[in-house]
Amino acid sequence: MTSPLPPDGARLDHFVSQTAFDPDVVEKLTPAQERIYLASQLRLMWWKFRRHRAAVISGIFLALLYASILISEFLAPYNLESRNVNAIYMPPQSVHLFHEGAFIGPFVYGTKFELNMETLKREYTADTSQVQKLRFFCRGDRYRFWGLWESNAHLFCPAEGGNVFLLGTDRLGRDVLSRIIYGTRISLTIGLIGITVSFILGISIGGAAGYYGGWVDHIVQRIIEVLQSLPSIPLWLALAAIMPVTWSPILVYFGITIILGLIDWTGLARAVRSKLLSLREEEYVVAAELMGASPVRVIFRHLIPGFMSHLIASATITIPTMILGETALSFLGLGLRPPVTSWGVLLNEAQNINVVALYPWLILPVVPVILVILAFNFLGDGLRDAADPYH
Amino acid sequence: MTASGFFRRARFSVCFAGLLVASALVGAPALAQEPPSLKQAVESGALPPMAERLPETPRVIDLAALGRSEGRYGGTLTMLMAQSKDIRMMTIYGYARLVGFDEKLELVPDILESFEVEEGRIFTLKLRPGHRWSDGAPFTAEDFRYAWQDVETDEDLSRAGPSQVMLVDGEPPAFEVIDQHTVRYTWSKPNPQFLPSLAGGSPNYIAVPAHYLKQFHQKYVDKAELDAKVADAGVRDWVALHTIRARAYRPENPDLPSLEPWVNITPPPAERFIFKRNPYYHRVDKSGRQLPYIDEIFMGISSADIIPAKTGSGDSDLQARYLRFDNYTFLKQASQTHGYEVKLWRDGDGSQVAYLPNLNVNDAVWRDLFRDVRFRRALSVAIHREEINQQFYFGLAHPAANTVLDTSPLFRPEYDQAWAQYDPDLANRLLDEIGLERGVDGIRRLPDGRRAELIVELAGGTEESDVTQLVGEYWGKIGIKIFPRAMQLDNLRRRFLSGDTQMSVWSGLNVGLATADVPPEELAPVSSVQGNWPQWGQYVETGGKAGEMVDEPNALRLHQLFQSWRVSSTTEERRAIWHEMLGIYTDQVYTIGTVNGVLQPVVVRNTLQNVPDKGIYAFAPVAYFGVYMPDTFWFSAGD
Repeated sequence: MTSPLPPDGARLDHFVSQTAFDPDVVEKLTPAQERIYLASQLRLMWWKFRRHRAAVISGIFLALLYASILISEFLAPYNLESRNVNAIYMPPQSVHLFHEGAFIGPFVYGTKFELNMETLKREYTADTSQVQKLRFFCRGDRYRFWGLWESNAHLFCPAEGGNVFLLGTDRLGRDVLSRIIYGTRISLTIGLIGITVSFILGISIGGAAGYYGGWVDHIVQRIIEVLQSLPSIPLWLALAAIMPVTWSPILVYFGITIILGLIDWTGLARAVRSKLLSLREEEYVVAAELMGASPVRVIFRHLIPGFMSHLIASATITIPTMILGETALSFLGLGLRPPVTSWGVLLNEAQNINVVALYPWLILPVVPVILVILAFNFLGDGLRDAADPYH
Repeated sequence: MTASGFFRRARFSVCFAGLLVASALVGAPALAQEPPSLKQAVESGALPPMAERLPETPRVIDLAALGRSEGRYGGTLTMLMAQSKDIRMMTIYGYARLVGFDEKLELVPDILESFEVEEGRIFTLKLRPGHRWSDGAPFTAEDFRYAWQDVETDEDLSRAGPSQVMLVDGEPPAFEVIDQHTVRYTWSKPNPQFLPSLAGGSPNYIAVPAHYLKQFHQKYVDKAELDAKVADAGVRDWVALHTIRARAYRPENPDLPSLEPWVNITPPPAERFIFKRNPYYHRVDKSGRQLPYIDEIFMGISSADIIPAKTGSGDSDLQARYLRFDNYTFLKQASQTHGYEVKLWRDGDGSQVAYLPNLNVNDAVWRDLFRDVRFRRALSVAIHREEINQQFYFGLAHPAANTVLDTSPLFRPEYDQAWAQYDPDLANRLLDEIGLERGVDGIRRLPDGRRAELIVELAGGTEESDVTQLVGEYWGKIGIKIFPRAMQLDNLRRRFLSGDTQMSVWSGLNVGLATADVPPEELAPVSSVQGNWPQWGQYVETGGKAGEMVDEPNALRLHQLFQSWRVSSTTEERRAIWHEMLGIYTDQVYTIGTVNGVLQPVVVRNTLQNVPDKGIYAFAPVAYFGVYMPDTFWFSAGD
């Protein structure tokens, strides 16, 4: 029995491995390679995005701002409409830590108010004998939180009987800082609805036109051309005029942004259409169709992710455009009107020679506008790079 | 009074002595030298010398008596306006009128040499012999005749007939030319509105340059020639052509002869209008210098928003229009470096910002409320006027109802403070009494269950909307929620007339400085542009053809009182009517006033002399700068 072979005619004895077959047994992936090649799309995007410093910082900044609008009432030391008759056009107060060499903690000096009857100017001087220590997590102006329950908690408040106007006050003695904080709420959210409407319409209509082509495409193209030829500012004016006056101004503005969203989708729809026209000829689309996928599934599941980067870029550009648009229209007096307060409304109130010459702190709402627009642009940049992780 | 009594007719027992004024004939002053800018034209013979240009009896302005100085000729005065139709401001500032108000608000003859009134209904107007239009043509009784017979009562040119002030009980006057320099208007009943209408900022033009305008009138030109002119001008017909060419209030036609101190030489449209001195102007100073002192007025057209900024950088020599009280601090600061002075005049309106509940609103529930005097009073006493004063006017204005100012002879504290106190408890009591219950949200409910949400429409700038914001807070405290809505002025007028507007924001009475001889028309329904009773006003204005008859007893009483003022013959009678009207108007709170007597910054170039330090800035009756006589302003050396 030295031969390993069985006798003639007998069944050959053979070995069957009980362990699972590993096709990669020859070319083994290292754990590091595995992380990359087997990572999900989202994870890849996140890795790529993380490397873009400016985008990350911008993202955090915007996230914080958007978070702040949930608790504007708490963050602002005063209410939106709190007037202070004794502090009209007060310049910004500075926060000090040390008084006469001794550490006290954040405080402001009291102010002395004098009416200069010669120039009819309100003159404020710091009164260094009065140390007004800021209070934190304190009780101040009453407000209805989210319109649900009453509260008077604030992040920081002036000392009892004192004032704190870190960015000065306006012509009615209202705190500019508080108004900017409240304005953030309107300015950051106002465009989102319009953009949502315009994205939904743009992607579905443009998607249908690009995917089906032919007469569907033709009709959609002509509709787009008509819509694009409507001038938007006169339209905006007309819409602002026909909105029912009993609607609150904010409702009117939302109404207008929705309608503008209904008009604004055309550019996006064109982009989606042209992209789809080329992508629909790819093999993976044919494969999906052969496997019986419906057009909706093909468009949204297979085609749209293919040019996500483009969509993200245009979204991050459109949001600041909407914010700027709101600011510009309100500045011109066509958009939001007081008592609704956005940055544009604040700037509108600051547009006269008095402010430039005498009360320059009222122009401060430009600062958040610039920061937010920059942040959105950096964020968009980072996201666009990240959405194409293999490039 | 310097009246010589020369014209007095003794046989009429009721003689309107207060208005019988003859010109101050102080003896012809020695004629001083020609204005340098005209010297050349005079030497070349293009213009006659000054003695021939002036009327035989020029109006002599005694500047020393007014506390001002006599000046020197020359210079160009620059001012800024926001739209080209503002060139009418030159007609207002120039203020050359047949009769005009002086600084004491008495009527004095200006272009006229004298006038005489008998029984309050017979007006005899005497011209200055030798007076000429700005083109050198004589100004005579023919100009009055043409204005009355060929314009005012011409079927084509005045389709609606003569203007209201020329009618008493619907009757026009009998017009007579006595001689070349004398005309007479005779009504069957007194017409106290006649003389004030001649003295208005926007005057009743009863004399027009006939020698110039006849070329556009079908009566004087044959049809073919006129048709050619119409076609040339590109207008509809000769009526339109005549109307455009004759427009004196807004002097857009550089060819139209004028009696004003400066005449426009720039056809619109233009960015800068130039007004040159009228070489035939009828006023002189005591040394015999022909006014105006200043040769030229440049009127730059700019945007209303940047006029304060431009003024602050010294671009204007004399500016008040488009400057607001809150510009004062900025202007004052810049005044040192840019060589001007800022004076503070007082505004002459009855109220800086007033609220007009529309008694003719379509919404029946609101209409009943607005017609309930308790509701109007409640709204009025809920306003904290002193706070508005402190907040916006440094406490320098005067919290008051919408009524005459304390400088008016008709002023009484009880009108001034009628329902002008701050008393929210009283307001709440009044509203409770009406039966407007508060809901759980603190807002009152109307009788039909709706929330008391009031839409307040405004056409003004930030001042109106700021004050309205405060007023909204005050009314919120008594349970009335308001929504301010900004719109165009024309739109607002249309809306309140059609009854869509519930409440409008307006300025107060124009006649804050009223005397008894000024028509109390703003206190009664007379016109469709009165936001508190537009329908009633329209009814009166159109003689019952449109609108509705007044159907509220107190407003009806105001209407009757105004009609009796229109046929009153003595100042005493008129004063009594004024007081009764002011009493009803303020007690009934038909308009809700806030503060008045607000200060108006007036920017004056350092070298510009004779601009008073204190004055009233109002359209009526002082015609802004008009009664302070800008033709006597002059530039000192160093200009």
